[in-house]
Formats: sequence, structure tokens, C-alpha cells
Amino acid sequence: MKETWRLIDMRIEDAPTQMAIDEAIAMARLKENTPNTVRLYRWSPSAVSIGYFQSIEKEVNLPACEEHGVDVIRRITGGGAVYHDYNGEITYSLVAPEADPKMPADILASYELICGAIANGLAQLGVDAEFKPVNDIVAGGKKISGNAQTRRHGVVLQHGTVLVDTDIRRMFQVLQVSDAKISDKLIKAVEDRVTNLRRYLGRQVGFDEARAALIKGFEDTFDVALQPGELTEAENRLVKQLHDKYSSREWVFQR
Amino acid sequence: MKRAEYKIPGGKLLSAELAVEGDHMVGVKITGDFFMHPETSIIELEKALEGTPAADLEDTVNGFFRENDVTLFGIHVEDFVKVVKMALES
Repeated sequence: MKETWRLIDMRIEDAPTQMAIDEAIAMARLKENTPNTVRLYRWSPSAVSIGYFQSIEKEVNLPACEEHGVDVIRRITGGGAVYHDYNGEITYSLVAPEADPKMPADILASYELICGAIANGLAQLGVDAEFKPVNDIVAGGKKISGNAQTRRHGVVLQHGTVLVDTDIRRMFQVLQVSDAKISDKLIKAVEDRVTNLRRYLGRQVGFDEARAALIKGFEDTFDVALQPGELTEAENRLVKQLHDKYSSREWVFQR
Repeated sequence: MKRAEYKIPGGKLLSAELAVEGDHMVGVKITGDFFMHPETSIIELEKALEGTPAADLEDTVNGFFRENDVTLFGIHVEDFVKVVKMALES
């Protein structure tokens, strides 16, 4: 009998809710004895998330976000700024105890394992992807996924982005691009470093198809069955509290 | 206000911002796309540097990481020293 983990499948929520759900699952995991959990999700409205240690003014073009209705949020995890394009990106998260026999104690090894699950999922679609330390997944030498992990409450929480068909021009409008204007040359330079499923495969990849592939990647890598489930009442209560934190100016603008 | 940015070989970007009053560092802020667990240690590190003589930078940073259970990923203790030193010299 295969071990079962919970799958919270493709919820579409705003930025504070998504970040609150990830943290709530991590907080509840040991305290409430909830199952190990994988989430796949999309952000509506589209949002910029910045790493815990990043300067919001340095990373985000706030007037442009305002103009385009793009949310801005600070994560509890470190790492870089991500544009979560509602029409072009899937985010995943995984929560498991640090002491889980399937979870390496070493941080780099755990990144490698979890990013390997994403790479295995992408392989289902025909993408030859691999983990690139520190925290990226690359395909054909170009970044296709960025990932960030924290360890707290005795658990590993890792979340990351899988680029499906990102609007690079919009991404540049909402992220601070060092004093240069958004030129075709600059966009070309990024296209040389960053790819997505549509560009890599030369065809449209639907969210359902990408989702199914990622689920298979997690199941194969961790030798588990992902069982669709919902948040518990305790988790939902935490989400409500954490939502207030994530939407507060004190949190988002703290550095 | 003094500022510096340092790109760590291997990828992560680290920035420091501070002012100097007399010989002392004030308003120290360290930002970037690195990883540090627990994350709130950065606030404690900045506090440890607040009001510290610039000459004691290295000892203070090393002491902080010796005394606190902090895990760094994508960055090393000496990178913090380096970027603050760069800001001091800017």
C-alpha cells in the first residue's frame, strides 16, 4: 500500500491567501498532525512575490503594479522576486516534516529532491529539465523554475514557480529593471536566460496538462499517491489570521 | 547614506545600506535574494550591528553567527562582512 499525501489542487486565490495557506499548512503539520501536503495553485490577480530579505522598493515597480492591477506580496521564504502571471505560471508548495524519512536533513539535498520532482513532472511533458544549485531548475540551459525553502515548526516548506507561458514584457514592467528602459534587446537577453513550457516545447501547454504532469512527478519521486483533499478547520482558522499579516503594510513594506 | 551591492559568485545578490555617525554604524539594512533560517535572524543581525564601531564589523558579524543557531544557504558569513565593508568604503 502506497503512502498517501494530501493534494490541494489548483486553488485560485489572491496573493495574501496563497501565502497564508502555505504557512498555515506548515504551522499545522506537526501540531495538528495533518498529512504531508502538495499544493498546485495560480494567483488571481497576477502578483509579484518578493523574497523575505528583499527590498520592496529595489525589486518592485509599485506604480506599474498599481496600474496593471498586480498584487505585491512578501514571502516568508528567501530568494528572489517572481512574477506570478495568472495566465502563464503554476506555483507549487510542499510541506513535510524535517524528520520525515523521505526528506533529506541537508538543505541542498532537499532542494535537489523536491526540484527533482518538478523536473520529473516536466519530463512527462517532454522537457529535459534539471536542478541547478542554488535553487533553480533549468531546461536547455535556461531557467524554467525558481524555488524557495524555509524550515520552521519542525517542517520543510518549499514553494516554487513553474513558468508555463509568462508575459515577459509585463514581468519587466512590474519588476524593477535596473534603470534601463524595457528594450527589445533586454527582452531578448532575458529570453536567452529564462524559458517556459510554451517556448521550450514550441506549443501551448494547458494548465490541466501541466498540472497532471507535476502531480505525476511528485508521486513518482516520493513514491506516494497524492489524494485530493481540503484544508482542515484548524488550517482555515490559521489562514484567516495569516491573511491579515500578509496583507498588512507592516509585513509587505518591512524592508 | 552609504550603500553597496555585491553579487556573490554563484548568483545571489546582497545589498547593504547604512550611515556612519562618528565611528559607529547606524541604520544598517541588509537585503537580497539569499536564504537564512530562521529568517528573522536578519533583524537580529542588523540590531547587533546598530551602533557598533565600524572597526568591529568583522568581529560582530562572526560573533553573531557563533552565538546564534542560524543556517545560511546561498551565502556565507564572510559575504555579510564584505557587503557592509563595501558600503562603509563607498
